[in-house]
Amino acid sequence: MTDGRSAASNKGMPLVRIVAETIPCECSLKEDVDAGIHLAMGQIIEALTKPLSAEEQSPKRKGKEKPSRIVFKGQLEELNRFFYKRGWGDGLPVLPPTEAAVREMLAGTDLEPAHVVGEIVPRHGKATVEKIAVNAVMAGALPTHMPILIACVEAVTDPLVDLGTFGTSTGSWAPFWIINGPVRHEVHVNCGSGAMSPGDIANAAIGRAMGLIIKNIGGGRKAVEDMGVFGNPGKYSSVIGENEEDSPWEPLHVEQGLAKGDSAVTLFFPNSYSQLWQYGSDDMGILSTLIYNLLPGRGGLSCLLLTPPQAKTLAKKGWTKQMIQKYVFEFGRIPAYRHRFFYGVAQAHGHVGTVPPNGMDPMAIVPSPDHIRILVTGGPGAFVALVCGAGLPGRQFVTKKLRLPSNWAKLVAKYKNLVPVYEKY
Amino acid sequence: MNTSAQVSQRGTEYEVLSPWADVDPVPLRGITPRPEDLAGRKIGLFLNHKRAGYLSLSAFERELLERIPSATTSWYECTGHNIPEMLTEGKAKFEAWVGSVDAVVLAVAD
Repeated sequence: MTDGRSAASNKGMPLVRIVAETIPCECSLKEDVDAGIHLAMGQIIEALTKPLSAEEQSPKRKGKEKPSRIVFKGQLEELNRFFYKRGWGDGLPVLPPTEAAVREMLAGTDLEPAHVVGEIVPRHGKATVEKIAVNAVMAGALPTHMPILIACVEAVTDPLVDLGTFGTSTGSWAPFWIINGPVRHEVHVNCGSGAMSPGDIANAAIGRAMGLIIKNIGGGRKAVEDMGVFGNPGKYSSVIGENEEDSPWEPLHVEQGLAKGDSAVTLFFPNSYSQLWQYGSDDMGILSTLIYNLLPGRGGLSCLLLTPPQAKTLAKKGWTKQMIQKYVFEFGRIPAYRHRFFYGVAQAHGHVGTVPPNGMDPMAIVPSPDHIRILVTGGPGAFVALVCGAGLPGRQFVTKKLRLPSNWAKLVAKYKNLVPVYEKY
Repeated sequence: MNTSAQVSQRGTEYEVLSPWADVDPVPLRGITPRPEDLAGRKIGLFLNHKRAGYLSLSAFERELLERIPSATTSWYECTGHNIPEMLTEGKAKFEAWVGSVDAVVLAVAD
């Protein structure tokens, strides 16, 4: 009920009449739905017929839309508790976004602090450059990450990504950020061994900052608007770079229409990340791993991660990224009875006409080759990874080009030595 | 990062900026007047893309027509998934449908 109320309020109808749920949810059995509706009938009829109150006819605004700029003064532990109790965090300690720290973060962009990069749903909070910087400081990001974060905000506010759905859905979708271009090396984005593991500021802090930005600027509160059933650790940070130098193919951002010398961020919202031993070292062994492990319970935008050695093996046999996409679409099939759409949800999820009449007929798991992207990344080893998202019609991988500030070279030089150097033992 | 801390007798203190964003106020709208009762009324059933939406509205329709036989229903299936209908190509059809019914029930069914 809270998410329904919030959705109505954010669209300007705070007093729309909502009958509290007596039915568990989307997973309910028909008999439970029937029983729940039976119990709620009196309330539904009352909601349809009871005369409007004065406030229902003309609702009054509650709360203030413009918060104070300076919000707290205190010790580190106090401010962390203050932020945490307001829901302005992710459960981990944050760094203090002081005026000076935010000013230093703003060195990473030529845009004015008041410039609005976009409005983030569901609250339609204004993602000003300053608010992005405040959240970036909290997350432990560096000023060199600001151009990436601004591009990330442009991506997450692009309707083709559909944060409105994926940021609030019961499916616990988490943003998956792919970084391409020269900026990977300039800010040390890990594109190799353990790229998805903790330990690299760029991979960790950029994703974390975006998590805070989506929550604090977009206002997606857990269990109020963000109704993810299980939640998703990927929401802490899922940032990866493509290993362009060791790839035999053109990089993702070039496939997405940018120039190779550009730096870019690509975004989509998966909810699962699985790593699989390859079925064989040759091209067919690698491809078999992909097509036999797609998830028929997902079946949407999918990013398939291959290591540089696997990509080279495939390329030597003549495979391109586009050929692999087509192959995975064509041969990533299962008997229809194994696909979720076979069980009456195809219409409910906008895929009318995709289910063959016979349960033993072959059915594609992914709707089209364009729902697939191939990414060359990670370290050496015999694993592939599948990052699988939803197949809602119209949603796409979205790529945004970075705009670097005029002082970029100086800024990069300032932070270039900030890399972990492990003790030898 | 430069955190610009002030050291007081209590220890290091930080004056910090808010991460919470401004919003432009959304124009508020009241809800539409209700009919006095549902006898002889046409009730719109708005179907979103949720599996339980169809089940919920079907159950409601069945109970409604049992309780109030003179009522009628009219179904509308949304065009896009999680897109306000007025922003879809179904806008004109939706507006015509809304104008043809006396009240609307939507089952969130999530």
